[in-house]
Amino acid sequence: MLDDQRLSALDDGALARRITEAGRAPDSAAESELYRRLAPRVRLYGLRHLRDRHGAADLVQSVLLMTLERLRAGRIREPERIGSFVLGSCRMTVLEMRRGTRRREALLETFGDVTATFESSEPGLLDGDRLARCLEALSERERSVVVLTFFADRNADDVGAELSISSGNVRVIRHRALSRLRACVDVGEGAP
Amino acid sequence: MIGTHPMPLATLIGYWLGELSAADEAALEEHFFGCEECTTQLEGVVSLAAGVREAVSDGSIGMFVSTAFVDAMKAAGLRLREYRLEPGGSVNCTIGADDDAVVSRIMAPLAGVERLDIERISSAGDVQSRVTDVPFDANSGEVVMIPPPRELKAMSAFTLELRLIAVHESQERDVGRYTFNHAPS
Repeated sequence: MLDDQRLSALDDGALARRITEAGRAPDSAAESELYRRLAPRVRLYGLRHLRDRHGAADLVQSVLLMTLERLRAGRIREPERIGSFVLGSCRMTVLEMRRGTRRREALLETFGDVTATFESSEPGLLDGDRLARCLEALSERERSVVVLTFFADRNADDVGAELSISSGNVRVIRHRALSRLRACVDVGEGAP
Repeated sequence: MIGTHPMPLATLIGYWLGELSAADEAALEEHFFGCEECTTQLEGVVSLAAGVREAVSDGSIGMFVSTAFVDAMKAAGLRLREYRLEPGGSVNCTIGADDDAVVSRIMAPLAGVERLDIERISSAGDVQSRVTDVPFDANSGEVVMIPPPRELKAMSAFTLELRLIAVHESQERDVGRYTFNHAPS
C-alpha cells in the first residue's frame, strides 16, 4: 500500500525512469501505474484520429506494450519525456494502421498476449435516462446543435451551414448547451 | 489558449471535432499527453458524445434536425419512416415497431425568416403549447422534425395541428398550418 502511494506521487517521467532502471527484472507495480495513466490518453488520441473504438483499443495495446518493452530495454533516451515519446509513437502507429500495415495479430505475435497483465478501465457510460431528460430540458436550438454536433462529430462550420446560422453562433450555443448539460448530468449523478 | 492549464473545455471540444489548426492541434496533443486533468476533461466530452448518440439511436429524445443529419442517421443503420407536408397539408401517419424514428419534413416559405415558432393547436382550435426559435433550413424551405420515437410508439390515435409562425421583433406572421393524423401501427 505504501509503495502504491509512493508510485502515485511520482510524475510520469520518474515512473518511466524507474522502469528503465529495473531493466530486465520488471518493476510490475511501476509498469502498471504508468499503463494506467497513459492508456486513457492513447485511447482518446485513437478515438480522435481513427473514430473507431476497436482501432483505439488496438492502438493502446500496440503503443504501450512497445513503450514498456523499450523502457525495460533502456532504449528510450529520455524517459523523463515519456509523454512526447508516446505521442510520437501514437502518430506513427495511426499512420501505419491507416495504411493497413499494422495488425493486432502482428502485435500479439511480437509481445504475446500480455495485455491481461495491465488494467485500464474505459470511462463509464452516462446514465442514459438522465441524459435524455437533460437533453429534453435544453431549448430546441440548443438540443439541435448538440445532436447535430455529436451524433456524427460534425464541426461548427458544418452544423452552422445545416442550420443557416454562423459557425461562431454554433460555438456559442454549443458551449452554453454543454455547460447546462454537464451541470444537469452532474446533479443527477450526485443524487441518492 | 493552447498553452493554458488546464485546457479550457471549449478548446478540448474544438480538438475533438477537428476545428483546431494543425499547429494548435499538435501543441494541444503535446500538453495533453502529460496532463491527467485534461484527460479526464476530454473523457467527459467523449462520454457525453457517446450518450448523445445513444439517446438518438434508442429514440429517447425528439428534435429538430437537418437533412444531412437524417442522412447520417440512415448511414448509421437507423430505420426511418418519412413524411412530407406542404402548407395547409395533412398526412395520415404512424410509427412501426421496427422504425427507429419518424421524420416529418415540413415545407414552408422560409426565405428571410429570422425566427420561427411553432404552436400546437387542439382540435377545438386552442393553442396547447408553443415552441420558440425552432431550427430550420431557409435555403431548402424546410423544417425537419423528429418527435420522440419511444413516446410516439406508446401513443394511441390522435390528430395534431401545427402552426408555423415567423417572428420579427414584435410582429408575427402565419407561415403555414399542418395536420398529422396519427394512428398506431
